[in-house]
Amino acid sequence: MAKLDYFFRETTSGLRRNGLVAFAAISTTFIALLLFGLALLISRQVNIMIDRTTGNVEVAIYLSDPVNDQNVASLRETLMALPIVATVDYENKQEAYERFQDLFANSRELVDNVDPEALPASLRVKLSEPERFQEVAAVLGCEPGRGGYVCAAPGVETLVDQREFLDRLFAVTRVFRVGVLLVAIVMLVSAAVLIANTVRMGLFARRKEIGIMKLVGATNWRIRIPFLIEGLFESLIGAVAAILVLFALKVAFINPLNDSVQFVPWIVNRDVLAIVPWLLFAGVLVAIVAGLVGMRRFLDV
Amino acid sequence: MISLQRVTKVYRNGTTALDDVSMEVEKGEFVFIVGASGSGKSTMIRLLLKEDEATKGDIYVAGKNVAKLTAWKVPHLRRNIGTVFQDFKLLQDKTVFENVAFALEVIGKTKNVIDQRVPEILDLVGLGDKLNNYPDELSGGEQQRVSLARACVNRPLVLLADEPTGNLDPSTSVDIMRLLDKVNRIGTTIVMATHDQAIVDAMRRRVIELEKGKVVRDQARGVYS
Ligand SMILES: Nc1ncnc2c1ncn2[C@@H]1O[C@H](COP(=O)(O)OP(=O)(O)O)[C@@H](O)[C@H]1O
Ligand SMILES: [Mg+2]
Repeated sequence: MAKLDYFFRETTSGLRRNGLVAFAAISTTFIALLLFGLALLISRQVNIMIDRTTGNVEVAIYLSDPVNDQNVASLRETLMALPIVATVDYENKQEAYERFQDLFANSRELVDNVDPEALPASLRVKLSEPERFQEVAAVLGCEPGRGGYVCAAPGVETLVDQREFLDRLFAVTRVFRVGVLLVAIVMLVSAAVLIANTVRMGLFARRKEIGIMKLVGATNWRIRIPFLIEGLFESLIGAVAAILVLFALKVAFINPLNDSVQFVPWIVNRDVLAIVPWLLFAGVLVAIVAGLVGMRRFLDV
Repeated sequence: MISLQRVTKVYRNGTTALDDVSMEVEKGEFVFIVGASGSGKSTMIRLLLKEDEATKGDIYVAGKNVAKLTAWKVPHLRRNIGTVFQDFKLLQDKTVFENVAFALEVIGKTKNVIDQRVPEILDLVGLGDKLNNYPDELSGGEQQRVSLARACVNRPLVLLADEPTGNLDPSTSVDIMRLLDKVNRIGTTIVMATHDQAIVDAMRRRVIELEKGKVVRDQARGVYS
């Protein structure tokens, strides 16, 4: 009777102890892979924004009212003379208003409150090498000032380099992305340490059985593999939970944006699906490395 | 089959468990290692299994130099050696059948072979009707017979037994000794460490006596003292 009681206590206390660490390992893997997935998705979001916009990036030269056709013609000539300028298009007030309506299609009050006449006409300049924007500013005698650049050339109100604005936006998201990635790596390492610990504790709890297995000539690998699988199992549970939460986050936060902020391209379900293999791979890698570290030396004959 | 040449074992804490021991055991022999508690019997068994390393000297088992064996080859040495211990060393979460089958699984035998050989050997030790019982449902004698079946199912060249009757009453011990004798008669070399005087005296086999780690007697058809 005392012997049975002892076995019962040894088994349950071992399970509880190991269960707690297993739970810790699962939740750390979950958080690590969630952050890793977030970093990947942010990076994807930034990339599709860059893709969409770089094709359309323009220098906008806003013209002062009233528009003088002669000024426009001479500006066009000056610009076309520059080798970096690809195209110059004139956008009148009506077209500017239409574009504005498109952009803010979901904010009717805003559109209704804007007088078509209030929007300036502009020249939209596409550059073959957007990074050499300064040459455009120089030829028009522009200096950085309020609302973009203030220019000396007649008939020009302001000049805006859209790329500059986008660059600033992307720099911010890049820093953010690197930060999330760093936290994800720290969490992945912690997850590995915890998994290594569950493996080690599992081996310790079953050291008697392991001794018997070795006695009948079981190789170390035959003994190791079940413990590796246990670690793999923990890590995959964490990975699957992270994937589900990422989908839930996408539905909860991106889908509403999709309706309200249509002028920005947002990630779609397929983008989330595309990172699933990476998360699973990271989970498997962490579990295997952790398992091998956890059982190092433990099984030496 | 087994050869110890000037083997010394000093434990890390300084205890000298074996002191310059030399002995030869031929194929098919049955040898008792006797001696008081602490005389070094278990240490000798452990060295033969490479559960521990000799401090000095050479050990050969089944033609292999145990000291030179690399770690990854040790399992292969052990597959040629059956073992029986005082505490049976059965896996508590496996049935009788599974415990014996395990010894065949680790050497990669197919399910067919396992399904044929395991009931056969369990019949031989008289447990043909307890295949599906768990170790804690068996008496000590029955557990030791399972352990013996597991040791023999793989038809090892050598069987090492460390106090196999230490936890058993005298009549059960006699049953186990009958089985060991049977195993020896089919050609298995047996080395058995014991301090069970009645058994040694009844069997009349070769006796090697240890005292404080030294061989003090080696006698064919001997008695305990
Ligand atoms: N792991 C160990 N570490 C240190 N000393 C040990 C160890 N195992 C056994 N000994 C000592 O070695 C001697 C021989 O022990 P052992 O081989 O178990 O003897 P026996 O089996 O004949 O009773 C004893 O003095 C014992 O205390
Ligand atoms: Mg002993």
